[in-house]
Amino acid sequence: MNEIESRILAILTDLLDRSDHEATAITLDAALHGDAGLGLDSLETAELSAILEDEFGTDPFGEGLLPETGADIVAFYADTTAATA
Amino acid sequence: MSAPRTVIITGGSRGLGEGIVQHFLDAGDRVATCARSETDAVRAWQADPAYADRFLFCTADLADRDDCTRFFKDVVAQWKSVDILVNNAGVARDGILALFSDDDTDTVIDLNLKATIHLSKQVVRNMLAHGGGRIVNISSITGLTGYRGLSVYGATKAALDGFTRGLAREVGSRKITVNSIASGYLKTEMSHGLDDGQLNQIVRRTPAGRLGEPADIARAVEFLVDERNDWITGQVLVVDGGLTA
Repeated sequence: MNEIESRILAILTDLLDRSDHEATAITLDAALHGDAGLGLDSLETAELSAILEDEFGTDPFGEGLLPETGADIVAFYADTTAATA
Repeated sequence: MSAPRTVIITGGSRGLGEGIVQHFLDAGDRVATCARSETDAVRAWQADPAYADRFLFCTADLADRDDCTRFFKDVVAQWKSVDILVNNAGVARDGILALFSDDDTDTVIDLNLKATIHLSKQVVRNMLAHGGGRIVNISSITGLTGYRGLSVYGATKAALDGFTRGLAREVGSRKITVNSIASGYLKTEMSHGLDDGQLNQIVRRTPAGRLGEPADIARAVEFLVDERNDWITGQVLVVDGGLTA
């Protein structure tokens, strides 16, 4: 697991810890929304967006994208890093 | 929210905002404010060694989204997280609606409402990421009772109260409270649109028998942002010497 992947996973884990979700297996491939996935509601999605912006300076939601999984978020930052490298 | 708290107060260069800034500086907090231009009050705070490293002024026209964002980013670059937001910046244009200019309508709505919403969005994101905060919107009794010649201004203040209630519901579960203070008529420049006859009439009808001072409102702000007051949210607190009782 690379650095971006572990940071995104840590952010998701921390977010779900904070918001009384029942124990869910958190993986980067799990859907962010819906009962079959991590089940984030709109406010939790806003929190995720704000935390990502705080950590990375930009966030996919603020750029108008709708990532569906943690892996989509990782891909956004991988692309951003590649673009600025 | 341990001291010093980080406080953003919009429109803090004069009038009511100046009084609120002074209140939080006196309390030992870090205070950031903005206005379109510096005033003697701002220069005095900047020069005072007692406020070194805990007073930040940004020249910004909040009604300009880029200026507004730059102000917010300056604050976060300096202090990282925001504990308290006081949306005080506002402008009044008086005149009966039938003769009101469209430009004046835009000026009042752009600053009082759109700028407040834009800055609040950014601050609330910061509060969500950092685990809570307090937001106070400075509203007006003209939004509750209406006042002849202030229909547009009153409309923006009534809208702010609606914004307070909606946002309070959205973020209540995240340790963020949102309240309005509906201020009565103060002895500040904003009441200068009223003539002596109108001001005397207001004083006669006010149970407390006087116009308000900025400090009257600042103490109410302090109450609402107190860390212990986490069970008051989505409310409009009227502070007007009893005028609307």
